[in-house]
Amino acid sequence: MKGLTLRNLHKTYFDLNMGSRVTAVQDVSLHIREGEFVAVVGPSGCGKSTILNMVAGFLPATKGEVLVGDRPVKGPGPDRGVVFQNFALFPWKTVIDNVGFGLKMRGIPKPERDRIAREFLALAGLTNAADRYPNELSGGMQQRVGVVRALANEPDVLLMDEPFASVDAQTRMTLQEELTRIWQERRHTVLFITHDVGEAVFLADRVIVLSKGQVLREIDIPISRPRAWDTVSEQDDFKRLSSEVLQMVRSA
Amino acid sequence: MSDHVEPIAFIAGPKRVWLYVRQAAAFIAPLVLLLLAWPAIVTIFDVSPRVFPGVQAVLGAAADGLRDGTLLAHVATSLGRVALGTVLAVAAAVPLGVAMGVNSGVSALLTPLFRFFSVLAGIAWIPIATLWFGYGFGAITFVIFNAVFFIVAYNTLLGVSAIPPRLRHAAASLGAGRVAMLTEVLLPGALPNIVTGVRTGLGFAWRGLIAAEMIATDVGLGYMLFVARDFYRTEVIVLGMIIIGIIWLFIDRLLLAPLERATIERWGLVQRT
Amino acid sequence: MSQLGQVLEQYGRWAARWPTIAALVPFLPIVALWWGVAAAEVFPRAFFPGPLEVVNGFAVLTYKGILPAYLEDSIGRLALGAACGIAIGVPLGLLVGLNRAAHTALWPLVLFFQAIGDIAWLPLLLIWFGFGLTTMTFVIVYTVIFPVVFNTALGVRSIAPELVRAALSLGASRIAVLREVILPGALPNIMTGLRNGLGYGWRALIAAEIIVGTSGIGFMMFDARRAGSAVEIVIGMIVLGLLWYVVDAWILAPIERATGQRWGLIARS
Repeated sequence: MKGLTLRNLHKTYFDLNMGSRVTAVQDVSLHIREGEFVAVVGPSGCGKSTILNMVAGFLPATKGEVLVGDRPVKGPGPDRGVVFQNFALFPWKTVIDNVGFGLKMRGIPKPERDRIAREFLALAGLTNAADRYPNELSGGMQQRVGVVRALANEPDVLLMDEPFASVDAQTRMTLQEELTRIWQERRHTVLFITHDVGEAVFLADRVIVLSKGQVLREIDIPISRPRAWDTVSEQDDFKRLSSEVLQMVRSA
Repeated sequence: MSDHVEPIAFIAGPKRVWLYVRQAAAFIAPLVLLLLAWPAIVTIFDVSPRVFPGVQAVLGAAADGLRDGTLLAHVATSLGRVALGTVLAVAAAVPLGVAMGVNSGVSALLTPLFRFFSVLAGIAWIPIATLWFGYGFGAITFVIFNAVFFIVAYNTLLGVSAIPPRLRHAAASLGAGRVAMLTEVLLPGALPNIVTGVRTGLGFAWRGLIAAEMIATDVGLGYMLFVARDFYRTEVIVLGMIIIGIIWLFIDRLLLAPLERATIERWGLVQRT
Repeated sequence: MSQLGQVLEQYGRWAARWPTIAALVPFLPIVALWWGVAAAEVFPRAFFPGPLEVVNGFAVLTYKGILPAYLEDSIGRLALGAACGIAIGVPLGLLVGLNRAAHTALWPLVLFFQAIGDIAWLPLLLIWFGFGLTTMTFVIVYTVIFPVVFNTALGVRSIAPELVRAALSLGASRIAVLREVILPGALPNIMTGLRNGLGYGWRALIAAEIIVGTSGIGFMMFDARRAGSAVEIVIGMIVLGLLWYVVDAWILAPIERATGQRWGLIARS
């Protein structure tokens, strides 16, 4: 496990429609401590996904750098596990082969990686789905696989890009609770992107509000763990912090 | 957010024209390179004109053909045959396909037949066509007609039966009569399939035409190629091949493909993946 | 009229339940009609043989071993051509689909050479290679390649970028991305391409056998044409139709469905 550092990140790109360069991310600096859960929230178009894509190494930064521990990021790599909004499971692989993919890439033999994959599947209650194809699962189940696939590869940092945005509201709350439970057991360093203020406050140790490509404010979330929606949603702290963040996002 | 490129259609003004020009230039450049490489290769390797002709020989053949009018006659004849066969086939196939697609029983009866005969489309009809109609106009039109007819009828039928019943119900409850149902729902609904069918059928018909002309006539592009072979006149063969390629490129890429795209994508009937 | 309509609707429901039988039923009235027209001698017997004569001819040709031998020749040529076509077409399609520069340079050439069409090459090929297997194989390979290239490239481009990103962030190398993501992702399209390619290739084979032929179903048909015997021509057409029906409906289409539908890649029809 390692910390994650963003140092003066900039991203500009050429917009064909406007015929000019557009700034998506402007001078963002951020440090996420080892084992810390940080959520970045902001309205659509604020640059939060671009930040995640640069951290993941999918997009090059125009200026600035990203460090995992003290090693600069040069492209996508297994030190940063990514959970995608639309799951990005391999449709032609069964659930267990999806989860074992990272292990396969490291050359771990089939019986060993199946054993490890089954352990992780059990963690998310997916034992019975092991031999199904992603297409045969509900959205919520698919994203459980997505999360477990990233975890099974034992990354230093977990990057989550609006992972629960495309599942229904009920399932979303269950998935959020499961995520906090798993996180508490394994204490990953997490960068979580969302536009859902409640989700950010519920999950994170710290919430970053982003606006027009810049960090507007950082807010610590001192709500005690373990967190469950039944109890947390009743707490004054949660209500106060949520409305505070919400106001900032709306004014952003 | 990322570096995705907007489709040209959404970009306005002179920039759009410029992008089209650039696209066209990028498309033509490799072909021009090929045209330049050809005489170089022929000269360097000293290729015999009986194996492959030089550019000058082909241009010469084109000039000769244009001067005595034979080239134009071959091209016009081939195009005329395709046009006639296709128009007849489409005119017969579309109404039949629509009429058949309305009733699930008729569709279940005819689908296997149309499938079987579209499998035979084109070349496989040449022997029997020439036996029945003799070598010439009738046999060739018959081959083209068959190539297009069954495929278009089959696709029309598929298209009509793929129209969701709720669309027909909606139209009926809005007061559409039989004619209106046909012109407002069934035909437009099946149009993407019809266009796809015409495109596939024409592909087979064009090939069938060239093959049939090699065997069964004394005029047309296929005949021109095949006769040239008897005299080892590779320059005429290559000229014919280039003309065949350009004609089909025009028919398929500039006429049929845009038509297919327009109907399918505009209406969002088929999800592009 | 409306009663007939109802009977037909009834048949439609029945046909949906028994698709295999329903695929054969429509041929019964066609054969009966054929029989009747032939028996009434509407057309001269030599031009329009009846079903019995065709069945008889079929038995004789099979007994003499001519039909099986020709069929073997045709299928062998098609298989050889298809194998070569895939071996060249898939890598080329991957290159064009993955590499922008390769796409810019090769795409116009691919389109142009596809437009020339297999059969137009025949005269030149006859000069180069003479009447023989090389010419026929060349024609089939030429025909199969283009749909395979087109569809492979299309398949590669239709793969969601997230899948490649996911593989990379799980530690996949470039080769591993090709093997684990690009190839399986493009497989349904490759199968479609192969299916289309064989559809064209098989027609090209018939044309080649007619024009070049020394053996094969196409040769048999045209040889019969020269002798003015319609029976062998009709046998040839039926064999060709059945053969393609079997290959397409029982081999190619199920493979296409198995890959595409199981994986949820083909949600459409």
